[in-house]
Amino acid sequence: MTRTAYIAGYTRTPFTFARKGALAGTRPDHLGAAAIRGLLAQTGLAPDAVEDVVWGCAFPEGEQGLNIGRVTGLLAGLPETVAGATVNRWCGSSIQAVQMAAGMLMMNAGDCFIAGGAESMSRVPMMGFNVLPPPEWEAEAVSDFVNVGLTAERVARDYGVDRAAQDAFAYASQQKALAAQADGRLAAEITPVETAAGPLDRDGCPRQTTPEKLADLAPAFLEGGSVTAGSSSPMTDGATALIVCTEEVLERHGLTPLARIAGFGVSGCAPGIMGMGPVESSKKALSRAGLGIADIDIVEMNEAFAAQAEACRRALEIPEEKLNIDGGAIALGHPLGATGGRLVGKAAQLLKREGGRHALATQCIGGGMGIAMVLEAA
Amino acid sequence: MRTDMKAAFGSQDTGVRRAAVIGAGSMGGGIAAQFANAGIPVDLLDIPGSDSRNGPAEAGIARQLKSGGFMAPEAAALVRPGNVEDDLPRLAEADWIVEAIIEDFDLKRDLYRQIEAHRKPGSTVSSNTSTLLRRDLVAGLPESFARDYVISHFFNPPRQMQLLEVVAGADTAKESATRAWRAGRGLLGKTVVECRDTPGFIANRIGCYWIAMAVLEAAEQGLSVEEADAVIAAFGVPRTGVFGLLDLIGIDLIPLVWGSLIRSLPAGDGAHAYDLAGSELSAKMQAAGRFGRKSGAGFYRKAEDGSREALDLASFEYRPRREVADLPGGGRDLAALIAAGGPLGDYAWSVLRNLALYTALVAGEIAHDLPAVDTAVALGYGWREGPFRQIDRVGAGEVVARLRSEGREVPKLLEGAAQAGGFYDGTAPRIDLSGAPLAADDAPGAAAEAAPRILAETPGGRLEDGGEGLGILRITTKMGTFAPEVFDLFEAVLARGDLKALVIAPGSPRALSAGADLSRFLELAETPERLEAFLARGQSVFSALRRAPFPVVAAVRGLALGGGCEVTLHADRVVAHAEARIGLPETQLGILPGWGGCTRLLARLATPGSGPQGPGALAARLVETLLPGPVARSAVEARGLGLLREADEIVMHADDVEPAACAIARALARDYSAPEEELFTLAGPSGLAGALAGARAARQAGRIEPAALRVAEDLAEVVTGGPEGDPSRPLSEAEMHALERAAVLRMAARPETRAAMQATLKR
Repeated sequence: MTRTAYIAGYTRTPFTFARKGALAGTRPDHLGAAAIRGLLAQTGLAPDAVEDVVWGCAFPEGEQGLNIGRVTGLLAGLPETVAGATVNRWCGSSIQAVQMAAGMLMMNAGDCFIAGGAESMSRVPMMGFNVLPPPEWEAEAVSDFVNVGLTAERVARDYGVDRAAQDAFAYASQQKALAAQADGRLAAEITPVETAAGPLDRDGCPRQTTPEKLADLAPAFLEGGSVTAGSSSPMTDGATALIVCTEEVLERHGLTPLARIAGFGVSGCAPGIMGMGPVESSKKALSRAGLGIADIDIVEMNEAFAAQAEACRRALEIPEEKLNIDGGAIALGHPLGATGGRLVGKAAQLLKREGGRHALATQCIGGGMGIAMVLEAA
Repeated sequence: MRTDMKAAFGSQDTGVRRAAVIGAGSMGGGIAAQFANAGIPVDLLDIPGSDSRNGPAEAGIARQLKSGGFMAPEAAALVRPGNVEDDLPRLAEADWIVEAIIEDFDLKRDLYRQIEAHRKPGSTVSSNTSTLLRRDLVAGLPESFARDYVISHFFNPPRQMQLLEVVAGADTAKESATRAWRAGRGLLGKTVVECRDTPGFIANRIGCYWIAMAVLEAAEQGLSVEEADAVIAAFGVPRTGVFGLLDLIGIDLIPLVWGSLIRSLPAGDGAHAYDLAGSELSAKMQAAGRFGRKSGAGFYRKAEDGSREALDLASFEYRPRREVADLPGGGRDLAALIAAGGPLGDYAWSVLRNLALYTALVAGEIAHDLPAVDTAVALGYGWREGPFRQIDRVGAGEVVARLRSEGREVPKLLEGAAQAGGFYDGTAPRIDLSGAPLAADDAPGAAAEAAPRILAETPGGRLEDGGEGLGILRITTKMGTFAPEVFDLFEAVLARGDLKALVIAPGSPRALSAGADLSRFLELAETPERLEAFLARGQSVFSALRRAPFPVVAAVRGLALGGGCEVTLHADRVVAHAEARIGLPETQLGILPGWGGCTRLLARLATPGSGPQGPGALAARLVETLLPGPVARSAVEARGLGLLREADEIVMHADDVEPAACAIARALARDYSAPEEELFTLAGPSGLAGALAGARAARQAGRIEPAALRVAEDLAEVVTGGPEGDPSRPLSEAEMHALERAAVLRMAARPETRAAMQATLKR
């Protein structure tokens, strides 16, 4: 019989700015442990029901280097018998973690998984401490990997997303996030974290801005370019955690499913236009789910940069009103290894909240890849 | 960025481990910042704010951060803001409580009663008053308060101004006064001058008189403001002269500052002859709102077209500023100027005469000895020399003779100086303040002057005998530049077998060493073989210094730049003045530190706890550190950059740097073994891309020039171990040095490097 993978719980820590934010002093494994403890408390799932912690992290070095999936599970108080693995597909790490959990489940290698991920961009820099690409790579090939801002500039140029369109996209993301925050719509997904300065229960990244302020910003990556700090996702600290389980686990533990996983795809593209990754991967995932974009009610697409997110939106013909309705990474932040879990978890929550049938979670990945997952209301 | 601060060297001997300052204005905030600069935690209290209880104190901290009162931003974390309603109990933690509130007699005394209720017994309490007397402020307060209470009069801004006037009373306990003295010097870096309890203490009593007298004499004698200021500049005072100085201070402050001082002086005091606050000139300036720079017009102003104008004192109109040229003695020789006579020479004489008469008459009333007067006035007003030394420069005998010829009464002190052959013999005064001769060994500071024994000497410097095997290698070239003769000296010193410890010391207060001589570098760059030999010599001398069988301590005051910094990087310990400027600006000229500097810094970055480790991380950190050509504006900042280590010491008073370095060198010598040969595990070519990622991204974004990216590439090449580098094959120091030399040779051959050096030489 075919086994079905359900998303039966989702939470995350607040996301805050790297280095200057309230979570800068918190280790990434502690962030993850807080998310897992929150997830178990909210769902009532028994810790010993968990088979494995499948954990995304984009730069598993330093405090993230000791198989952070295993370390996080132990810190969260899961029994020693629960295993833990770290998954690295850079920005796509925790969508990948969800897929791996689902894949294990479907091949009958376990019934209940915690999937998710964490990234402290305060404590482990983007690209890690030791950047050692193959020396035979030309400077430009290295740059396509390590200077993703320039790939956004290339996408902006090649796909015709001008400065005004990027700034408008960024402004909309901030407005949506601020409104969601003000209405308490983000609180449903946040587990508070204890910090040295007391408990933190609110995202730190969304900021009140104006189109004029955004238009005044200087290009951040390319002299004379169009991508600014305002139209890029900020460096962020945070963690996300989800339950991936079988129908039988739902019943046995009295869990409420948010959605079932209906399709998945990864794809590669030229590293220099990595921001276009969602286009091909989304097409693959939709096709495998037997759907077209018109069948999708909710889209959570990562906003690494307004340039690439808008270019992908146009290419996939996603209606604006279906996209990132509570704001995206430009406003909320992008803790690399945690983001994918947020996209899947958020899409699943929104299906429930908004009453849609199908949702798509997708993101671009540095080095030239895309990743996408299709969900169906449960 | 570091958030912890190591306390200044010797701070434990001051008796102050925690301080409190009440009043967060520019003085109080600045004093609190200076405690923090020394690594001492300090409470800064002010009145509660209407929006936020600690708002005024927090604003005071923010003001210091903006105005440069903190030597590094992290020092601000040591200042804990508070308010005088909620936080007075914190005073119980303070060893020294400085009151720096407004000059209001009753407010201060009310505050003292509250302080007395909260402070711990025996803590020192001081006031930063500039106009009130200690005996009045303390009258009727408990005896227990009076015994711990002194005046501590700072000058503005407290970080920069060297002078601290301290007034103790007969009822002050010795340990309380001593604590203010020791901490004033050891923590706040001030030259402490003990004053008697008289209005304006020493510096302002003389300084205010001098300004008032010089201004009113100039007006009386019909000089223009430019002429007067040009003459005054010949006294070795700041180039603003007196009119320019008043513009800077603010003419609106004349009634307050000069008015209150003159009212507090007895009727017979000579200052009444020059009542600036009551003068017609001041009244007219006040009425016209001509307050100086703060109002855009004073005795000088900038016209709308940007040209400079001066006030005509007769017509009270502005006119184009006139340069005063051809002063006798080039405007720098006071004696020549006076001897030349004429309106300007006569004015110069009248100012010197009045200054001499007034200072001689009041000196015994305000000070305990001659040097106190000269030190206070020189440091408080930025004079090269105090009034008695000025008189010595012209000749005490000549001054007295001229006074007699004018039929003036000669004060006993001047008479005594003339008979003794001057006020000073070197640093030692010849007479006391009554004019009586001093026996040679009674004179303050007389013992300090014994010339050291010279053990070796070259035109580049000398080795002085510091006693018990301690050698003091003093670099005496201009700004301590590393001429070949300096290396001759280093080599001679290293070849000796008789040293137990060595201190590298500056030859002048301005610099330990400003590094290599650029014009010589440019000349050597014509011939690569000669340039390489020049680099190799520095590397081998500095390396030998590091590996010497005795400890080497570098004493840094003033500049330690380029090669001057590299020599400190090879020392076992550095003792730096807090205001030293330490840096490696080489990359700004298109080269890199090639006397072992890159290698030493790499070794430091590889120290666990200093930051991310691993061959790629090290390379990236080194490029990031060196590419901007960092020059620290304080020793604390140098520590943040890794140019000073945790074990290196920071000394707050410049004159204490060398004694501290000698003491540390002697202590290290007791149990010393030279460092082992090190190996460097570097990334090899795999690390280049990561080491350059930051610079390449900065170049793409237009934040750095193409030339800076080329410099980054050369730096990256050295710190990844060059084309043959490989993490499986660690490199020796000699191999690292070869990489440094090769990089500098390559970089020196670039036209842009030559152009940058020539441009610097022209400046």
